[in-house]
Amino acid sequence: MRLDSYRETWLHRTNPSVKLLVMIGVFFVVLFLHNPNVLINLSVGLLLLFFLYTGYPMKYLVLFFLPFFVIFVSTASSMTFFGQGTTTWVRWGLVHITKESFFRGMHLGFRALSFALLGLIFSLTTRPVYLFYSLMQQLKVKPKYAYSFLAGVRLIPMMIEEFQTVQNALKVRGADGGGIVNKMKRYAVPLLSQSIRRAQRIAVAMEAKRFSDAKNRTFYYQIGVSRYDVIFFVWMIGLIGLSYYMATVFPYFPVTDVR
Amino acid sequence: MQKGLKLTDILTTVVISIVFGIVYKLWGPFYYFVKPFGLHIDQLIYGMWFIAATVAFLIIRKPGVALLAEIAASSGEFIMGSEWGLEVLLYGVVQGLFAEVAFAAFRYKRFDVFVVSLAAIGSTIGSLIMDFYKGYIEALAPWNLALFLLARFVGAILISGVFASSLVKALEATGVTQLVRSASKEDFDQLNR
Repeated sequence: MRLDSYRETWLHRTNPSVKLLVMIGVFFVVLFLHNPNVLINLSVGLLLLFFLYTGYPMKYLVLFFLPFFVIFVSTASSMTFFGQGTTTWVRWGLVHITKESFFRGMHLGFRALSFALLGLIFSLTTRPVYLFYSLMQQLKVKPKYAYSFLAGVRLIPMMIEEFQTVQNALKVRGADGGGIVNKMKRYAVPLLSQSIRRAQRIAVAMEAKRFSDAKNRTFYYQIGVSRYDVIFFVWMIGLIGLSYYMATVFPYFPVTDVR
Repeated sequence: MQKGLKLTDILTTVVISIVFGIVYKLWGPFYYFVKPFGLHIDQLIYGMWFIAATVAFLIIRKPGVALLAEIAASSGEFIMGSEWGLEVLLYGVVQGLFAEVAFAAFRYKRFDVFVVSLAAIGSTIGSLIMDFYKGYIEALAPWNLALFLLARFVGAILISGVFASSLVKALEATGVTQLVRSASKEDFDQLNR
């Protein structure tokens, strides 16, 4: 997802593969983190990265951020209302809020928030084309996979246009009623069959032009590793370390494990 | 015979999956729109996120397609800026892997509703394993957890099992699937007649 009005920051210049791997690392750290104090610090750090260094105007960033708030509330609420616990706060019908379920719910909300931020920071600062070229060059992904993905990403605007064509065609023929299953099929069949035909044609064309999976091929874009990757790595490690340190020195809640 | 998937297979799988990637992305807002109704009604529509694997496998019918499709669809969703961010990518890998296991269990030779539903169940189990680590679902009250599991399994079988296979039947009627499938035994029998 990219918009035109952004300025390039150091996050745009980090190597996409390195960025992805570091983020997957942070993902697993968050996955096995059960202390809400640490997690809140970590989320704040990611929030700073998001607002300061993705290079987009503030009004866009706030707009991007809105759905996350909904995710936060919806993720936190089921666990808060229906989770198990011993110290009852509120009991109202089926809803049973306990101290344990409340903290667990909040923890889940912050976890969802940090996953979402990791993803959004990545997709706002990475061009898909560079990502797949970098995957081929740094992580040795096979070209036939990477170029298939590149072709697929390139087709997205065409698919959206086709979707609108189908929508208009159905409207003109007065065929936009009916049950939800039939409706979905009416859209899915033409879109999928056209996509299959198009993919087929692209593959034939690529092979006709001698596309091969040879090991030592050349690339149009040469993607390398730079000092920005080191900065990114150190930034993340520093953030995790600082989150743990601050959580032990200035904890927000006396809870250290929400399980 | 070349080993593994050919360029045509990969490209077709990826392009189909990106169509589903768009659906996956749009399904997100729908999912959290349904969520406030409570009592895990949202789980009934969760199964849509497994559909790329089953549909792509039914169309191309080759080993590895289900896994590739689910990874491609989730990375499509990821690149478009999913609300769930990075987690969709890893959920995709696990869900695809479990769907693949279901198809492999029948040595990629059966393409009926039963096997597809089994793959949908497989993906559901994959997503539950991730939820177990991520969402502490085991800490829900027992009645609530049972409702949650039931809704997710039923939704997955209906959407990624039954609906997916009827969708592919409709696609077969257009004749487009013959472009990508390898020649079957019946085709050779036709020639020998």
